[in-house]
Amino acid sequence: MAQAAHSLNSSKPLGHGHSVKRHTGLMDWITTVDHKKIAILYLWAGGLFFGIGGLEAILIRIQLIKPMNAFLDAQTFNELITMHGTTMIFLGVMPIIFALMNAVIPLQIGARDVAFPFLNALGFWTFLFGGILLNLSWIMGGAPDAGWTAYVPLSSTTYSNTHGVDFYTIGLQIAGLGTLIGGINFLATIITMRAPGMSFMRMPMFAWTTFITSAIILFAFPAVTVGLVLLTFDRILGANFFDVAGGGNPVLWQHIFWIFGHPEVYILILPAFGIISEVIPTFSRKRLFGYSSMVFATILIAFLGFMVWAHHMFTTGLGPVANALFSVSTMLIAVPTGIKIFNWLFTMWGGQVRFTTPNLFAAGFIPTFTMGGVTGVMLASAPADFQFHDTYFVVAHFHYVIVGGLVLGLFAGLHYWWPKMFGRMLSEKLGKWTFWTFIIGFHMTFFVQHFLGLMGMQRRVFTYLPNQQFDLLNLVSTIGAGLMGVGTILFLLNAFLTSRRPADAADDPWEDGRTLEWTIPSPPPEYNFKQTPLVRGIDAFWKEKTAGHKGMTPAEPVGSIHMPSATVLPFTMSVGIFIAGLGFMFSRDEFGNAFMSFLFNNYIVTAIGLVITFGSMLLRSLYDDHGWHIEPEELEGR
Amino acid sequence: MATEQHSQEGVVKHRHRHEGPQKHIVVFIFSIVLTLIAFAAVAAGGVNPAFAVVLLLVMAVLQVFVQMGFWMHLKDRGHLIPIIFMIGGFFVAGTSIIMALYWVWWD
Repeated sequence: MAQAAHSLNSSKPLGHGHSVKRHTGLMDWITTVDHKKIAILYLWAGGLFFGIGGLEAILIRIQLIKPMNAFLDAQTFNELITMHGTTMIFLGVMPIIFALMNAVIPLQIGARDVAFPFLNALGFWTFLFGGILLNLSWIMGGAPDAGWTAYVPLSSTTYSNTHGVDFYTIGLQIAGLGTLIGGINFLATIITMRAPGMSFMRMPMFAWTTFITSAIILFAFPAVTVGLVLLTFDRILGANFFDVAGGGNPVLWQHIFWIFGHPEVYILILPAFGIISEVIPTFSRKRLFGYSSMVFATILIAFLGFMVWAHHMFTTGLGPVANALFSVSTMLIAVPTGIKIFNWLFTMWGGQVRFTTPNLFAAGFIPTFTMGGVTGVMLASAPADFQFHDTYFVVAHFHYVIVGGLVLGLFAGLHYWWPKMFGRMLSEKLGKWTFWTFIIGFHMTFFVQHFLGLMGMQRRVFTYLPNQQFDLLNLVSTIGAGLMGVGTILFLLNAFLTSRRPADAADDPWEDGRTLEWTIPSPPPEYNFKQTPLVRGIDAFWKEKTAGHKGMTPAEPVGSIHMPSATVLPFTMSVGIFIAGLGFMFSRDEFGNAFMSFLFNNYIVTAIGLVITFGSMLLRSLYDDHGWHIEPEELEGR
Repeated sequence: MATEQHSQEGVVKHRHRHEGPQKHIVVFIFSIVLTLIAFAAVAAGGVNPAFAVVLLLVMAVLQVFVQMGFWMHLKDRGHLIPIIFMIGGFFVAGTSIIMALYWVWWD
């Protein structure tokens, strides 16, 4: 696609534009390689897992509503906290981030698709099948129960002898493949496919944060891949990487996990920073304050993010020198983050601020995220961390940055770009109800947890004794969680009611759009831009508006547009990996049935899965698909 | 991608001077010599093991520069982004190796 977009001028109409096979219904969704449709797939799948993770959170809070509650037993509680964390991070918010990136990034940089549309579809399907595999654990002998960090020895077969943790390692491995593919795709897209005139320093902030996020994915995900492979080998093949008796080292897992895990939290928050940096200037009718310092701060956060992982391990016993070094490097991150906070405030200052739903979420984000940042600096101090470690103070901190930061940012982005994705404006009234119920519920749930933690309530413990002053605060926290659930349901209701209205959103429905996505119809045609636009500055569309122009100056004549073909191969490849993973996981099990034992114990199921995957790859390599063209006459006919 | 580069070669020629094969032959011989020195240092025997290790490391580093610079084209113009990302990769991988040596291997 990259070269196709570049060589567009020279490509002659080949006359087979109409012979392309078009799928409809379910097959259209399974075979699509269109970034806009993949965005919607990511949104629904991510939304589904977000709902499951939310339900798990509600169950956890119901269990903790009163002391000595017997609503859940300890094992179920452990499974719920593990799956809540894992699902929310890997299967809930990351896919929704990818949904927004897919929906917006090609439009913002003036491209007709991502660099590798086929890989884009493959990334989605591997994520989805990894997520399904992980959640199958609930009905296949028990979910993972060693926490989302899966620390050894708790996650070793000695202490976790169901298949739960195997579902975790193999499910995450498959889902992580999708994330890595997605990250590489966005790197290639942003480097090679920006519209003429859009230099790096003219890119919208969301494109910048997507670029940096993708770079972090590229560097951080290999670490967790290695860690998960080692843990899988320990558990299924009897290796000794983390087994002390066999000469292994459990602390190695913590290092590997957090070398990935800390950059992971910046993978989560940087896109939210990007969304906020788009929403606030639009609804302040001002350009972003300190654009270049924002870019610099984003890069600095990404760089420092790789040098702080041991602050998760202060109590492991790394020694005072290491703890001091990691304390200081952690506190350093507050500097670029502070730059961002002040830049957003200065953008709003003196602007014509409109509190639409997206801007309400963005304005709510700033103080809420700042509170999470402040507790982060508190936790960065190693001596204090010895007190905070494994208490609800930590739980409050990371929910303030992930929910109060990322999820508010995602809600802002979803309300902001919904008309561009679906051609329909969400109801402002319901949106404001969503905001108020969600943010009040959020602070009720998590603000009190700071104090629960300081009073000594431990995280990951399934119940607590009465008369420790925990009772009232836990009740408040549970009521708040219910309120957050109401907010989420209101959003779903809003989306449902909106889907029944006619698709009548204008090209620039917020009227103050600044970037390229607002110059094309909502939703965009499948080729996005009839003519690639010429970019003449930061906030390209706003610049044309202030010059009195109605639209962008085209950078090319109207010509035949090369499109990638729809294909089912990404789907079949992912199905194959899914089957292979499941087969490998049960390869050492004893089945009552001789035929089943034969299939699994001889790796036949695994082999079938791998044959499907590699067969699909072979088909892809042997069968040259040159795509198809949309001719100028068709473009004019629209 | 490949076809496009070929078709553009004629246009590109006058923009930046096309290098002849001469330089590449020299570099190729140089990397063979590096390999031979490293191989000889061990195969010949009689070389002090400590010296051999240092020599091997020096040869390896030179080899990496030759491979990256000439055969991966990192010395050419327009390769800033690959270089930045390689340095990033070295940085992260290096941190992990130092971690593993310092806290897991020696501790």
